[in-house]
Amino acid sequence: MRTLGEYIRLYFIIEAQYIKARMQYRADFIISSIGMLFTSLATLGVFWVILQSVPDVAGWSLMEMVFIYAFYMIAISPMQILFDHIWQLRFHVQEGTFLKYYFRPLNMMFYYMSEMFDLKGLIQLVMGIALLIYSSIQLQVDWTILKFVLLLITLFSAALVQIAIIVAASCAAFWVVESYPVLGLAWKLREFAPYPMSIFDGAFRFTFTFLIPIGFVAFYPSQLFLRPEEVHWFVYLSPIIGVGLFSLAYWIWAKGVNSYTGTGS
Amino acid sequence: MRIYLPLIRASYMVSLVYRFGFLFSILGNVIYLGVAYYLWRSIYQGRDVLNGLTFNETFLYVGLGSAIFILLKTYADWIIHFEIQQGTIATYLTKPLDFQLYSLFTNFGALLMNLSAIAIPTAIVMIFVFKVQVVYGIGLFLFPISFMFAFLISFSIDFFVGLISFYSESVWGVTATKDIIVTVLSGGLIPLQFFPEAMQKVLYWLPFQAVYHTPLMMITKADLGWQTFLPMLLLQIAWAVILLIGSRLFYNQAIKVIRISGG
Repeated sequence: MRTLGEYIRLYFIIEAQYIKARMQYRADFIISSIGMLFTSLATLGVFWVILQSVPDVAGWSLMEMVFIYAFYMIAISPMQILFDHIWQLRFHVQEGTFLKYYFRPLNMMFYYMSEMFDLKGLIQLVMGIALLIYSSIQLQVDWTILKFVLLLITLFSAALVQIAIIVAASCAAFWVVESYPVLGLAWKLREFAPYPMSIFDGAFRFTFTFLIPIGFVAFYPSQLFLRPEEVHWFVYLSPIIGVGLFSLAYWIWAKGVNSYTGTGS
Repeated sequence: MRIYLPLIRASYMVSLVYRFGFLFSILGNVIYLGVAYYLWRSIYQGRDVLNGLTFNETFLYVGLGSAIFILLKTYADWIIHFEIQQGTIATYLTKPLDFQLYSLFTNFGALLMNLSAIAIPTAIVMIFVFKVQVVYGIGLFLFPISFMFAFLISFSIDFFVGLISFYSESVWGVTATKDIIVTVLSGGLIPLQFFPEAMQKVLYWLPFQAVYHTPLMMITKADLGWQTFLPMLLLQIAWAVILLIGSRLFYNQAIKVIRISGG
């Protein structure tokens, strides 16, 4: 077994090489970054347009929506930046090139994900941080050290929830040949995470809170900072939910890796 | 024409391979409809009319917009990019067919598949689950015509974007930017009536509104009459012609580059 420290050091070495190689395609990086900027701000743009006609959505003002959205952008960044190789899983599995990941004395998920580092995702992270600072100044959120620690913990668990959903969906590739639609659906659900969950009721609210808990990616944790008096008891469970879901996704991944028999070639 | 028609059938059959995927696409779209329903319900919150649209009209506009989005998502830009990148475009150039027409007809086949597998189920859900009401009027008859021109415009934009990869090494960035611009500025996500007045004036003169807003208005405000729809339709036809010719000229230019760089 390797220690966490060794893995972190190894990760930096691998990514340094990867980034050097990617920098040959500078134009691609610039164009992709512009694409990322547009994609990550699209839903916020929609909220902005809507709030030109009405003062609030279910009691949430534009600036509060910006805060929730900024939280969302930061929370999904680790998935975007560190787990981008997930999109290639189905090709590796189908073409048999996935076999190579069995032959290194490294954790397989670590080795597989380390092969890609999504530079354009950094744009999303930076935008998210900037918007979080801007909106919390506008909303006069008074930051204490305790609150800042709480922010880091909730962001960490929100990121784990998002990573778990995407990893679990991508594992469909181990069992079904045509697995893209499963991942595509999980990817689409991600877009609903910055919506105020209070607009939903019935089956939708239940699904987004307990079954596919995208509510924990942005809305529920950001309530802790915006309206602490309205927080439901289960919001405090978010670190447990994050770690629990990630463990579940990891278990599915391990199952898939063990059942994979190659392509026979 | 005779050589292009079988292409529609062929690409329809190719799409049929991905049957399993349709279930997830329909599920994804039904969830989107649900989210849109709750979102707009909380926006209306007892208000009858916002920007000239009732809740029912807005939901119809947004829901049908998502169905059109799926119909038009034929990945022409990505396919053309891969054909250029992997050089398979050369095999089309040796055949007695026109590459632009070839792409157009293959895309039309994929569109028919999307229509039968995803868009019609979505429309059924909208009518029976969400119980949207449609007013009868001249717009309903103009819709199929308008939609065909919307397809031509959308195809031309995709074809244009696909050709850009003759020059640029990036495809994700260009297509992602295009997708967002087309869907947001066209009424694909929010009715154009909700945009600030000054923006609406600008958007009216851009080709994107002809892709979503024009056909969607024909369904949601079907009873508006000729005097409203005729200018919209003419503008749409003008854009279709301009963009088809424009992308054609660009294709003629771009194809020279591939000869210079060799096979």
